Amino acid sequence: MRIYLDYNAGAPLRPEVRSAIARFAEADEAGNPAAVHRSGQHARRALEQARERVARLIGAAAHEIVFTGGGTESNNLAIRGAAEASAARRRIVTSVIEHSSVLAPLEYLAARGFEVIRLAPDRGGRIAPAAVEAALDSDTALVSLGLANAEVGTIQDVAAMGPPIARAGAIFHLDAAQAAGRIPIRVGDLRCDLLTISGHKIGAPAGIGALYVRSGLALAPLMMGGPQEAGMRAGTPNLLGAIAFGIAAEAAGAHRDEESARVARLAELMLARLDASIPGLRLNGASDHKLGNTLNLTFPEVLGESMLIALDLEGVEVSMGSACAAGAVEPSHVLLAMGLGRDEARSSLRLSIGWSTTADEIDRAAEIIARVWRRVRAAEPLASAVSTRPNAATEAMR
Amino acid sequence: MSARVLVAMSGGVDSSVAAAILRERGYDVVGVAMRLAAEAPAPAARRRGTCCSHEDFEDARRVAERMDFPFYVVDLRAEFGARVIDNFVSEYLDGRTPNPCVMCNREIKFARLSERAAALGADYVATGHYARIERNPRGRFRLLRAADATKDQSYFLFTLGQTELSRTLFPLGAMTKAEVRARARELGLANADKPESQEICFVPDGDYARFVERAAPRQRLRPGNIVDAKGCTLAAHGGVHRFTVGQRRGLGLSSPEPLYVREIRAESGDVVVGPRDGLTAAGLVARDVSLVDPESVVEGAIAVEARIRYRHPALPATLAIEAGDRARVTFESGGGPAVTPGQACVFYRGDEVLGGGFIERAL
Repeated sequence: MRIYLDYNAGAPLRPEVRSAIARFAEADEAGNPAAVHRSGQHARRALEQARERVARLIGAAAHEIVFTGGGTESNNLAIRGAAEASAARRRIVTSVIEHSSVLAPLEYLAARGFEVIRLAPDRGGRIAPAAVEAALDSDTALVSLGLANAEVGTIQDVAAMGPPIARAGAIFHLDAAQAAGRIPIRVGDLRCDLLTISGHKIGAPAGIGALYVRSGLALAPLMMGGPQEAGMRAGTPNLLGAIAFGIAAEAAGAHRDEESARVARLAELMLARLDASIPGLRLNGASDHKLGNTLNLTFPEVLGESMLIALDLEGVEVSMGSACAAGAVEPSHVLLAMGLGRDEARSSLRLSIGWSTTADEIDRAAEIIARVWRRVRAAEPLASAVSTRPNAATEAMR
Repeated sequence: MSARVLVAMSGGVDSSVAAAILRERGYDVVGVAMRLAAEAPAPAARRRGTCCSHEDFEDARRVAERMDFPFYVVDLRAEFGARVIDNFVSEYLDGRTPNPCVMCNREIKFARLSERAAALGADYVATGHYARIERNPRGRFRLLRAADATKDQSYFLFTLGQTELSRTLFPLGAMTKAEVRARARELGLANADKPESQEICFVPDGDYARFVERAAPRQRLRPGNIVDAKGCTLAAHGGVHRFTVGQRRGLGLSSPEPLYVREIRAESGDVVVGPRDGLTAAGLVARDVSLVDPESVVEGAIAVEARIRYRHPALPATLAIEAGDRARVTFESGGGPAVTPGQACVFYRGDEVLGGGFIERAL
């Protein structure tokens, strides 16, 4: 049996979601929620019910939820939609540890004249609220930050950031793709204007996401066409995805506190086991402000790439940094920004667990990881890998 | 449990069929594509599939999907840069003509990748090379030419010793290229008719001189003069790295008879040219000599066939191993073709590779 420890990349479908999808398939209804006929009305009712369920997960009103194609689209819509809707303000504040779906649209906007301020985190991956406040001015259109970081799990002190951002008159966007369903979120308390959530991180399929858009705020759409989703996302909605998302949100919300506590205990157990068998193992990220499900670990004297592949061959699925276009793994930009050296980042792996992880899996995975670490360290000493960065000749070919 | 084998896959038909054959034979195949050099950004029009990836890696990935074995891309750019590309550049700057494929086999495929194989719990490394490995009755490993003489790649593999050969599989050694392509079609591999790559992988345009000029610090380049045997200057040139011994084309000289590069003097920058008959050498001295099986080569002079370039036929010669990993090779016929310092000289006895070294100088 394979052991899946990559929930931050995507969670398996929850059982409630599987049965909802099966029910939908069996019902065999052809309704377009925008259609006038009864089938359309049924579809619309299902869509709006899903919207309410998703809204409840984050303490929002149903009409504040815009369904999208996923977390990436939500982030793009939030950032480009807010920037375009902002008439005069030209500054955007973010951090260097954000997801590529935040960094890339901000690069796009920077190339079009926006001034993008990218704040650096501390060693634990936290962005100082004072640094956010100091970056604000009367020209600031938007602040975009991740509520919890995907790679190390660090949770930002966003409650302290909201009021100064509101006072500056800027829009506050939070990427909560990793946080939703894992920690309590009430958009009112966070004083954010936009908040991204993603279906497949909470046990719905990939291809559905949502953006919370505070009542009264209007974004320029990315998709233009029909008047769906309050004009902010044209196109016939992904009804099956939305239904699944609604069910997953409800399930995640209903069991959130017990589930988060259980998952955190399992992660602590894993860490203790590994710590006992791997001298020099290090946990990355602020341990007191962190998602309980995420362990980003630096394994001494081995290449993360070798560990990742060796573990996969043993049936344990983990992740490292991000995959390049060619499919190779690259050291995490988040770890590098937190001050880890390139070699440390290359020796780091992310283990992330979730609703289906069992204590037995943790036991077995901890044993396999320790065994694989010993084998990799003995067979492929780091000294034989030419570490650091590509040499001058390789650089010259770029 | 079946033996695990790490198969180095380039996306070409040879390594794909090698992997597929091993899979069919019941090995626990793990495919890897090595990221060796910074990829040139693919033109948008040539991108295909779901991601903006390196096409060759995608070809390999598709084979792995079709044959149902795991596949990974491994990043060996730093190692390849330090051990193959840097060597390639500095050899050219020193007036020699390197063979990066030999270095890649020695330093990367059968060294770094072999370590990686052990880290991944694999017993063997396999490649799509055309060469054969046999075990003699005493349990020693022998490296042999491929059955397909036109594809034989044993020349590039002379650095492999007993340890390496004991952990290496060459599934294509007994096959012809036509058989490999036919097998690929039978297996439904999409790259069955993919053309072969001819150039050195990290210099896809084949312009080595320009590559060296971009990679080397400016002060390392050695411009100088093209001179004749008497030392008279015929022309100036932009760097000794632009020449190889035996070269005729591209010298930019007008002369009643064709002139060839006879010698490159990196210290002074002189490139000595002369007519064809001055090119032949009585033999050569090789350095960094390695033997496939040290037990198989006796002391003193032995008769071998020496191959001094990949596409050249092996010439009858006498081999004398000397101290300090050096060897002296004397051609039987009294004179061999252009001996090019930096190239590999590989010693054969019939089909068997005894070993080889890198040419230091002609005799």
